[in-house]
Amino acid sequence: MYIKDLKAISAQNTLDDTFFTQEAINITGLIYNAIQPNYRDIIPLKVLRRMGNTIKMALGAGLPIIEKHQIDAIIIGTAHGGVQDSIKFLNQIVQYEEGTLTPTNFVQSTPNAIAGAIAQTSKCYGYNNTHTNSGLSFEGAILDAKLLLDNNESKHVLLGAIEEISTFNSNIEFLEGKFKQNETIESNTLLDSNTNGTVLGEGASMFYVNNDKTDALAKINDLRTICNPTNEELQEILNSFLQKNNLNLEEIDCVISGRNGDVRHQNYYNLIEANFNESNIYSFKNLVGEYPTVTAFAVWMATQILQQKNLPKQAVLQSKNRTNNNVLIYNHYQNIQHSFILLSAV
Amino acid sequence: MSKIIVTGIGAISAIGNNVAQIHKNLQSSKTGIGKAQFFKSKYVSDLPFGEINLTNDAIRSEFESIENPASLTRTDLLAFKAFQEAIEDAQLSKKDISSTETAFISSSTVGGMSETERFYEDSNLKNAKASNFVSSYNSNTHLLKIIKHYNIKGITTCINTACSSSANAIMLGAKLIKAGIVKRAIVGGVDSLSKYTVNGFNALQILSNKPCMPFDNERTGLTLGEGAGYLVLEAADNCLTKTNYAVIAGYGNSNDAFHASSISSDAKGIIHSIKNALSSAGISSKEVDYINTHGTATLNNDSAEIFGISELFEDFPPFNSTKSYTGHTLAAAGALEAIFSILSLNNNELYKSLNVNTPIEPYNKFPIKEYQQVENLKTALSNSFGFAGNCTSLIIQKCI
Repeated sequence: MYIKDLKAISAQNTLDDTFFTQEAINITGLIYNAIQPNYRDIIPLKVLRRMGNTIKMALGAGLPIIEKHQIDAIIIGTAHGGVQDSIKFLNQIVQYEEGTLTPTNFVQSTPNAIAGAIAQTSKCYGYNNTHTNSGLSFEGAILDAKLLLDNNESKHVLLGAIEEISTFNSNIEFLEGKFKQNETIESNTLLDSNTNGTVLGEGASMFYVNNDKTDALAKINDLRTICNPTNEELQEILNSFLQKNNLNLEEIDCVISGRNGDVRHQNYYNLIEANFNESNIYSFKNLVGEYPTVTAFAVWMATQILQQKNLPKQAVLQSKNRTNNNVLIYNHYQNIQHSFILLSAV
Repeated sequence: MSKIIVTGIGAISAIGNNVAQIHKNLQSSKTGIGKAQFFKSKYVSDLPFGEINLTNDAIRSEFESIENPASLTRTDLLAFKAFQEAIEDAQLSKKDISSTETAFISSSTVGGMSETERFYEDSNLKNAKASNFVSSYNSNTHLLKIIKHYNIKGITTCINTACSSSANAIMLGAKLIKAGIVKRAIVGGVDSLSKYTVNGFNALQILSNKPCMPFDNERTGLTLGEGAGYLVLEAADNCLTKTNYAVIAGYGNSNDAFHASSISSDAKGIIHSIKNALSSAGISSKEVDYINTHGTATLNNDSAEIFGISELFEDFPPFNSTKSYTGHTLAAAGALEAIFSILSLNNNELYKSLNVNTPIEPYNKFPIKEYQQVENLKTALSNSFGFAGNCTSLIIQKCI
């Protein structure tokens, strides 16, 4: 499966090429809000007004791609969908004691409203699916797209992931202890913080993928996921995954590691990174924050790396001056859901 | 290429806590829709529901070995119950379930938001301390808990395409086996009654104040239900010594690309999904012996669905909406209705579609009027359509 076009909305300057030419923005605090495009340029005003944030971001990243390419399938990963709308609707239920409520928030809160809105906007009657599996939502979407293309059921897939910052994240996930207590922490030093908790991000990353190599930017070779592994199981998964793809550890030029500055999550990253002493190692969550579908941003970054673009220095954990032809993304969400995604140059 | 065989089924709904009870009630045309006993909502006094006749504590007592049982929502509990029945039915060993060649694909729309009040308190920081359910609100929470409890190590995902969710889970599981990526897949979905969905559908003014009347000209909207359904799918060469319930022979998925909460009157998505399902099974519409419709009993759905069917089928095959028994179980509907279709096929039975007096004009096609035994029922079409235009159709065939 080849990536032919892509777009990312994130907390960094990824809407244009600034990301590749300057240092990353140093973000202070726990909330990494995305830099939003000017939606008035992208989405018709009359629909824009009522639109929830996730749908806006998805169209913001997706429409520029759809305008250029004829898409016949849409596959989205999102852990929470329009969760801010869920909270708004929930608050209506409680505040009005199940009285007469307006349905807009309810309708927009269903996660498949995102892929539905893209289909509606682009009049795409083809295959349409939404994966909502927390930290493996985007991975589920990749697998789905791969099956679709390999079976020749669709030829041009819009594949993407969206997550928004909402009071759900900042309150519920705060109660769960997912975030740091230190509100003045800076992104430049996040990965050295050695304390519990991480920072909260959001974003939309969209890809046009198909099985045609012509003018492709990168190839998604394969992915592998596992839940609740032991250290030994995880190492074994890495080995068998690379073996299946006819690669040995030394042939991985670059690892994109999901480190997020939460000391409780570091063990697995150390374990995997230790296999790659001679590879470049890059980070991304100190740039865009942690969220369940953030591996879609890592795939965006991997594609840029394979296009030999420069990354901001904050992304470089280990530099070995290798040309990046094989990129391995390793991530886990809350120590539970783990994924490896393998990309290569075309 | 190896066929995709259903080797195990597990279900819970308003018409029974397991497949055997459900089968009995379908045969005797007995609905599960009525006044809710356990569900707490202002609407319980005015609206009927398809409630499962079990308390949370009763189900919880069957699963005491699960880590932190107090954190299990009704959604989680229903999922565990149907999942357990399906894997026992398919005689999967612990080793089978943990094998990396076993995928688990589930689905839910409301997930842990069924604990609506707790969700409200936690999301608005109403209490200093988080509730037991604080990590349970996601649509995939039941999936993560099942993965942990049964030590599942293979491919996992959770689908949320509203009311077509578990039909898509079945489709994806079948595709993974077909592609040779896994040997078996446990697929299905779950949803429980919740204030969240009841108020949502009520705000859309599509809830009926009497038990739903799918495909009646005077229908007044849908009845919400709850349930869970799981199927074990295996590659044919992998299950020679097991019960072979049915074949997942085809699937079609399409988006109606029309509106966020209604289906277009020209039924584009419906027609595409049925067409794709037929062509993926390599059959013509003439070969369909029975249709388990989506049949929600909203004005919009049933009109669009009957129009779509009339465009593709010269002669209407026998059809029903089993939502007249269970209510609309949202993400569970696709899996439950696939299981009902399998019961039909394997027993050569057609189940009565309840609450129809006058068929929809101008088609004048009555859904199945009475329970009946028939000869040689071979191929079923099961439809599932959802908000945001998501349409999925499955072709299920008897094993021969």
